[in-house]
Amino acid sequence: MKVTNKKLLIEMTAIILLAVAIGITWNHRLLWDVYTGKHSGTATTPEITAAPTTSLLPAGLAQVKDLFDKKEAIFVDAREKSVFSQGHIQGATSLPPATIITDLQGFTEKVPYDATLVLYCSGYGCRDSKDLGNILLQKGYRQILIFDGGYPEWKDAGFPIEGANQ
Amino acid sequence: MRMKKKAKHYFLLTLRIGLGLVFVYAGILKIRDPVAFAGSVAAYKLLPYSINYLVAATLPWVELACGLFLIVGYKVRASAGIIAAMNILFIVLLASTIMRGLDIDCGCFRQGGEKTSAWVAILRDILFLAVALILFTERKERKFSSW
Repeated sequence: MKVTNKKLLIEMTAIILLAVAIGITWNHRLLWDVYTGKHSGTATTPEITAAPTTSLLPAGLAQVKDLFDKKEAIFVDAREKSVFSQGHIQGATSLPPATIITDLQGFTEKVPYDATLVLYCSGYGCRDSKDLGNILLQKGYRQILIFDGGYPEWKDAGFPIEGANQ
Repeated sequence: MRMKKKAKHYFLLTLRIGLGLVFVYAGILKIRDPVAFAGSVAAYKLLPYSINYLVAATLPWVELACGLFLIVGYKVRASAGIIAAMNILFIVLLASTIMRGLDIDCGCFRQGGEKTSAWVAILRDILFLAVALILFTERKERKFSSW
């Protein structure tokens, strides 16, 4: 009985390790991006030197603040316009996915395709920034960072905001 | 008696393949969009930033592997054991979101879209847990059963 349980445990461990190894191999580029440059907890925030990609890149608070300070990125707010007007990251442009058809032309005229974009919405669990990111990728933008913590994390950190309720 | 045995055989076969399909489906949806799944994991607000991505990169593959093993009938007990353990973990995590007042999508299947409430997800996971435990215990006396 003991031998059976031990064998079972080994089998379970082997299945998990095999799956984890495949998962890490499959996603090694994404994990490397997160580990090297987009980790909000890193003491020093690396510059964005990666070649333009065709996928959305995750970005943490420290990195987006660094980009904000150096004015190296354009901040794009993917929340609804009414929410945007109540408060947003200072200097951010409003571009909700729901009104993209009417707003996109003005956006592309104003923002060059090689610009670094930081997209955000209402924090973890919010999908609008990712939806918007996918649309902008299709339109030809190649340096798109998704700031998962979004407006709530930025505001909680005490970083510059503007809007009616700030 | 023979009828009863046959009915049980088909019952267990259905459970095994059904649970396998559910986990293959869940795994593939997440594998297709690991960044979105990382967002779902991050929404639980339990892990450091980069670990959310590590979980998102690996957990769906565990689901897929276990699901495939269940479908083909290989290492059924080990796969059912892992699925049972994962579901216990999911139930605890979902319960924690209710207790912490987090209104998030469970991230169980399709990422984004309409939210699945934590209560619905818990009930669903309890069902999966029960099926996994049945497979785990029923397989005990068998080496390579016909179901």
